[in-house]
Amino acid sequence: MATNSIVELHEVTRRFGAVAAVDRLSLDVRQGEILGFLGTNGAGKTTTIKLMLGFARPDEGTVSVLGGAPERPATRRRIGYMPETAHYYPYLDIHELLRFYGGLCGLDAATIRARAARLIERVGLADAGRRLLRHYSKGMLQRAGIAQALLHDPDLLILDEPLTGLDPLARIQFRDLLLELRSEGKTIFFSSHELSEAELICDRVAILKQGAQVWCGALRDVAGDGRQNLERIFLKHLAGEVAP
Amino acid sequence: MIVWLRQVRALAALAVLELYRRKDLVVVLILSLLILCPLAFFTPFGVKGASRYVNELAMLPIWIFSAVIALGVSARLFPPEFESRTIFPLLAKPVDRGTLLAGKFLGACAASLSALVIFYLAYGLLTGVRQGLWFPVVFLQALLLHAGFVVVVSALGLLGSLVLTPSANLTICSLVVAGMFFYGQRLPGLVAGQPPPANALLGLIHWIGPHVEFFDLRRRVVHEWPPVPWRVCLAVTAYAAAYAIVCLLAARSLFIRKKI
Repeated sequence: MATNSIVELHEVTRRFGAVAAVDRLSLDVRQGEILGFLGTNGAGKTTTIKLMLGFARPDEGTVSVLGGAPERPATRRRIGYMPETAHYYPYLDIHELLRFYGGLCGLDAATIRARAARLIERVGLADAGRRLLRHYSKGMLQRAGIAQALLHDPDLLILDEPLTGLDPLARIQFRDLLLELRSEGKTIFFSSHELSEAELICDRVAILKQGAQVWCGALRDVAGDGRQNLERIFLKHLAGEVAP
Repeated sequence: MIVWLRQVRALAALAVLELYRRKDLVVVLILSLLILCPLAFFTPFGVKGASRYVNELAMLPIWIFSAVIALGVSARLFPPEFESRTIFPLLAKPVDRGTLLAGKFLGACAASLSALVIFYLAYGLLTGVRQGLWFPVVFLQALLLHAGFVVVVSALGLLGSLVLTPSANLTICSLVVAGMFFYGQRLPGLVAGQPPPANALLGLIHWIGPHVEFFDLRRRVVHEWPPVPWRVCLAVTAYAAAYAIVCLLAARSLFIRKKI
């Protein structure tokens, strides 16, 4: 695995009033890896993602994504983002949704058609046909979300709680998809509080507590221990205790 | 440039597709045809000339429905994006906020104007069948100016959608549009007749309010009066464009600063 950084956050702080949602956070995401970004609710995960996407600017520190500022269109052209839960346009079907997002990415109609057909198959929405998105289940909407994130063939995927609403089978398929994407050379930033899933797919994990990073490391370094799995690390750093 | 056009086209197509899929327009069209058809074939007291007043009555729902559609579409451009959280994947794409705004506005205009053309076609066909007058010049001028009205109302609705809740936006915009439509012409007289500070307030409304009454050629169409000079049409169209651009620039300024 190459070690050059795709995302670099340096001493980033983002405050809302007196509260620091992100507090002096330094983090790097390396090319071709899956980085798990873990924390409890309100730990600052989504705010960090907003900073990485250029939706918000840091009060202090610097954010660099793919070597540039995240708000630049040239940078965004190489980022695929899947939000936690989005109720995509209810009056479109999956083909129209992808045509819309493809148009926003500046892709031509033929490219959109070819990529959309492949992606719909890949995320398991081929059976949905021309059904409107308002009739989709939560899991199907999540699949539509990953399809729109992959449509423009991005180098970096930012996934915010991608497993929300997925049934066990869909989780397995989703996990396989992420591993496939990594093998294709994509870099994946995986924000979640699903420890078991993160343990299965992530190369490295960063744990966030009240906006500050409390642990970051490679899972292979701790996996051989036999005692110290991700749950123990998580508990140790977040609750200040070690599970029996 | 090609990329920008593709982005704008995608955004505009979304607004048009959603309007037709939501079936709101179908309901409004059926309602307006239900009003237009009986009126078109109704001759009050058997007096031929009196049917003009029936035509005037038929034009009124077209104005009301076009305003309702333009406001309904433009006021719904952004709030659902925030509510359903689709604003995040939207802004994560390589599209700047100004383009997003322009695309959405053009989509709202295209959707509302397509409905307007259908209304005018229905009216033109019905009066043509009855009176043998097929789309006279004044009718086409009325359509052109009515399109200017739709553009102004859409811009106003879009601007309001960035600062107000959808219901507040619809209420305020409806009041402003209806108020200016019926009282806009009388404002200069009212300003002159009021003591300070009421005259200053009315003067402000006169200068910043959308003068939608400029776009109303109903009476000319109904009474088969001669067309207005084209330079007047152009001046009113330019007013519509200028007013819409000012609204869009204000909306852009708000949207760029808006925290997501």
